[in-house]
Amino acid sequence: MNRRAFLKSAGAVAALGAVPSIVRAQAKEVKVGYILPVTGPLAFEAQLSLNGLQLAVDEINSAGGIKALGGAKLTLLPGDTQNKVELGNSEAARLIDQGISVLIGPFSSLVAYSVRQVAEKNKTPFMLLAAVADNLTEGGLRYVFRVQPNGKAMSTLTMNNMLEMGKAASTPIKRVAMMHEDGNFGTTMGNHVEAFAGKLGYALVQRIPYSLKSPDFTAELSKIKASKPDLLVISGYYGDSKIIAETAAKLRIGVHALVGLANAAYSNPKFIADNRDLTDQLFDGNYWHNPQSPRAKAVFAAYEKRFNSTLTSHGVQAYTVIGVLKDALERAGSTDRDKLRDALSKTNLADHILPQDAIKFDDTGENINATPALLQVQNGRPVVVGPARFAEAKPVFPVPKWHG
Amino acid sequence: MTGEVWAGLALGLLLVAPPFLPPYFLEILISVMLFGYLGAAWNILGGYAGQFSFGHAAYFGIGAYTSTLLFLRLGVSPWLGMLAGGVLAAAFGLAAGYLSFRYGLRGPYFSLVTLAFAEMLRVIAVNTKAVGSSLGLVIPNREPAPVNFVFAGKLSYYYVILAMAVGAVWITRRVARSKLGYSLLAIRENEDAAEASGVDALGMKLRAMAISSFLTALGGTFYAQYFAYIDPTITFGPSVSIQGLLQAIVGGAGTVLGPVVGAFVLTPMSELSRAAIRGRAGVDVMLYGIVLILVISFLPRGILGSLRRRP
Amino acid sequence: MTADLLLQAVVSGLLLGGVYGLVASGLSLVFGVLRIINFAHGAVMMLAMYTTYWLFTLAGIDPYLSIVVTGPLFFLIGMAIQRVVIEPNRFAAEHNQLLLTLGLALFLENLALVLWQGDFRSVRPSYAGASFVVGEALVEVPRLIACGGAIVMALALFAFLRLTDVGKAIRALSEEPEGAMLMGIDVGRIRAVAFGIGAGCVAVAGALVTPFFYVAPDVGESFNIIAFVVVVLGGMGNFVGALLGGFIVGLAESLGATLLPGSLKQLVVFGLFVLVLLFRPAGLFGGGRDR
Repeated sequence: MNRRAFLKSAGAVAALGAVPSIVRAQAKEVKVGYILPVTGPLAFEAQLSLNGLQLAVDEINSAGGIKALGGAKLTLLPGDTQNKVELGNSEAARLIDQGISVLIGPFSSLVAYSVRQVAEKNKTPFMLLAAVADNLTEGGLRYVFRVQPNGKAMSTLTMNNMLEMGKAASTPIKRVAMMHEDGNFGTTMGNHVEAFAGKLGYALVQRIPYSLKSPDFTAELSKIKASKPDLLVISGYYGDSKIIAETAAKLRIGVHALVGLANAAYSNPKFIADNRDLTDQLFDGNYWHNPQSPRAKAVFAAYEKRFNSTLTSHGVQAYTVIGVLKDALERAGSTDRDKLRDALSKTNLADHILPQDAIKFDDTGENINATPALLQVQNGRPVVVGPARFAEAKPVFPVPKWHG
Repeated sequence: MTGEVWAGLALGLLLVAPPFLPPYFLEILISVMLFGYLGAAWNILGGYAGQFSFGHAAYFGIGAYTSTLLFLRLGVSPWLGMLAGGVLAAAFGLAAGYLSFRYGLRGPYFSLVTLAFAEMLRVIAVNTKAVGSSLGLVIPNREPAPVNFVFAGKLSYYYVILAMAVGAVWITRRVARSKLGYSLLAIRENEDAAEASGVDALGMKLRAMAISSFLTALGGTFYAQYFAYIDPTITFGPSVSIQGLLQAIVGGAGTVLGPVVGAFVLTPMSELSRAAIRGRAGVDVMLYGIVLILVISFLPRGILGSLRRRP
Repeated sequence: MTADLLLQAVVSGLLLGGVYGLVASGLSLVFGVLRIINFAHGAVMMLAMYTTYWLFTLAGIDPYLSIVVTGPLFFLIGMAIQRVVIEPNRFAAEHNQLLLTLGLALFLENLALVLWQGDFRSVRPSYAGASFVVGEALVEVPRLIACGGAIVMALALFAFLRLTDVGKAIRALSEEPEGAMLMGIDVGRIRAVAFGIGAGCVAVAGALVTPFFYVAPDVGESFNIIAFVVVVLGGMGNFVGALLGGFIVGLAESLGATLLPGSLKQLVVFGLFVLVLLFRPAGLFGGGRDR
């Protein structure tokens, strides 16, 4: 490699860097950067989130943009993490370079751990999307915000909902077994279900982490059956959750119900459609919208019309994050990152489509009212059966087909 | 101008230019340096000794976890932890190497067994609560403290990894020109013949393994300190193993600067292809695969290996 | 540990082991003849699973029946890949050939991602929910069929290798390459055929598992590593050994899941792998190339 060639390439690379600055000077817009695993194993889910972001952004823009900024439009600037930490960092840095006012993403907690440092160092508000690890908001970070329920809220509130249901149906849940994928997501959920057993009033009789790639869980499920649980909780992804439900049914595992915990499959309309007989009456505690909200119905219709498919909870979360962002921008009246950060921390937003009270953040940036919905598949559709005030149907509990 | 002068100029540029680079490019450069470093570390065993390890992630992970655990649990400075990790990794490498070489594993068999070792470490880490299992280990957001390997800005991390990369290249050069290097060359070309002419193949390969695993582990510590988060998949997963060897292969295994050149080619190529074809999931990695096939087919000695005249 | 749990472990392990054996047979053949570890083996299986999915979804063809199409199709695809990508590099260093297949794997997996995106797809034929009980052990019908199909396929392969001229040529090339060339065997053609058969085998395996597994671009990875383990266990190039090795690995995995906590069952498989590599690299049944 000769010097000339090296310098030429260095020059080309530097020229690429110059372009964003030119762009910055011109537009009257709010630059919203996102980093998602657009390519790679999570591409499908990432696309669902992206759809939600785009739906919200276009809705706001066509309604006149951000009024406090003279009608400035939101512009989404893309970043692809490929679900890798180094790329998450470099994409975040690149977007920050391009003058974004806020960063949204990155889906995986793994990537989030280090991107939040990049955001914090560059004083850029970072709104978490999908990342479930609890300690993401720990450590005194001021620029990290999470709208959705974190792992602790997800597990404790879902388990509570199930226990309440058990009491109401006079079939108390005393013994709980759990299977979870052995990665960050599953282990987080597993740790909470184990840690809160005493406090919430159940005994965790069996906890089995499993490797996602495995094609067979018969041995694991036999162990679970042998421990005679009242409830089987499953935190897994699509493929593994399918095999587990399938095998558990055939083993006649003898539980009152099978409940997913932030499960990627059990409240997923596509999964349900592809596996009708298997998914009937499965429960899932998951991110969801408020089915009683008229605005939610409108959003669903708009999504269906545009993307020709049903809005999923990934999309709902993403849609909501933009809503919170818009509200903060209106109050901040500026695209300045610090002003935006302060406005975000003071959020008190009731006009949203989540199954919870107003969105408010505590000091660490967690949404204090975040609530997972308890869903059950009934007649081929996932319906909200808890908390009661958001419910659209009564739960079927205990579920007859799971009994031994 | 000789290669050495060009390398010197490049180094000069790498020393002087970064403070003026925007954060995005600095980030890329740090990645390049880290991958180049890992490639150089791998190269000593893979390129020079001809033993293709597919499981160098084992040493990377040992380095990362050792220094991080020592730091988090006992407050030991990661600089010391780095050395401890290197020693531990070298010990593991020697043990694994001894087992493999002593039992005559060569070629693809050696590659597979190294892959297995790395995977086993990963599974153990996933199932061990004491090291955080799949939740990994987070290095909390602390005030910058150079003595604890925590810097305020990216630039400092850059210079650290630059120094490490230069060091690895320098070590490679020393090895190449030493008796060890010549022995390794003989072993690489024909191990049995080398043995017959008196070369202690086992001893030489183990030396190479020790150096290679030690250096790789240091890279693991750097990663942990820079990204402030490690978990079993990041550290022991196949991705790290593959990245390390790719730089060396593309740049030129068995050459001193090959891995660094490889890193300078592969990382920006990956970035540019993603930038050029946005919104189409997977096209860039697809191209990556094609490029790899093309390089192997048409430049089998890697870039530098092909440029250099055959010895 | 009750007898019931152990019985279940044995049954499920053997059922899955049959499939592992078939996947590994193809890989073993390729290694025996071409001396390369084909990293793209799992990716080919994945492509076959997608094909099975599309045939079922678009044309209503039962996954097991579609093997009639998928097998030969991927045989041809395998031959094409060998001719275009691998054969031109047949004199390259072994490790470079390895990287070639790695590049191929990256290419194929992401081709699937580009064409069909990352969504999981599943096929659920009417008999997917069928199962029966042997003693206290569950036997799921789709898995039983897969295992049976795998055994039949492997035996057919065995017969092919023993009885046909091409088969004998393949074995000759695998066991005694120089002698085979001296005997005038069209080496290039045989190498392509061997790779094609390898691809065909793993494609059939893919079709067999689709009814109880799922389809996604990374689905081949589950089987890739296990295939390597099985091949070494059974002896590189020993095809019946690969089938038997499949059962052993399936059993080991299943017993590991029953007896060990957590997800440590993977450790059992790798541990077995390392032990065999070190102490009996020619495979448990011998007949494989040593070291």
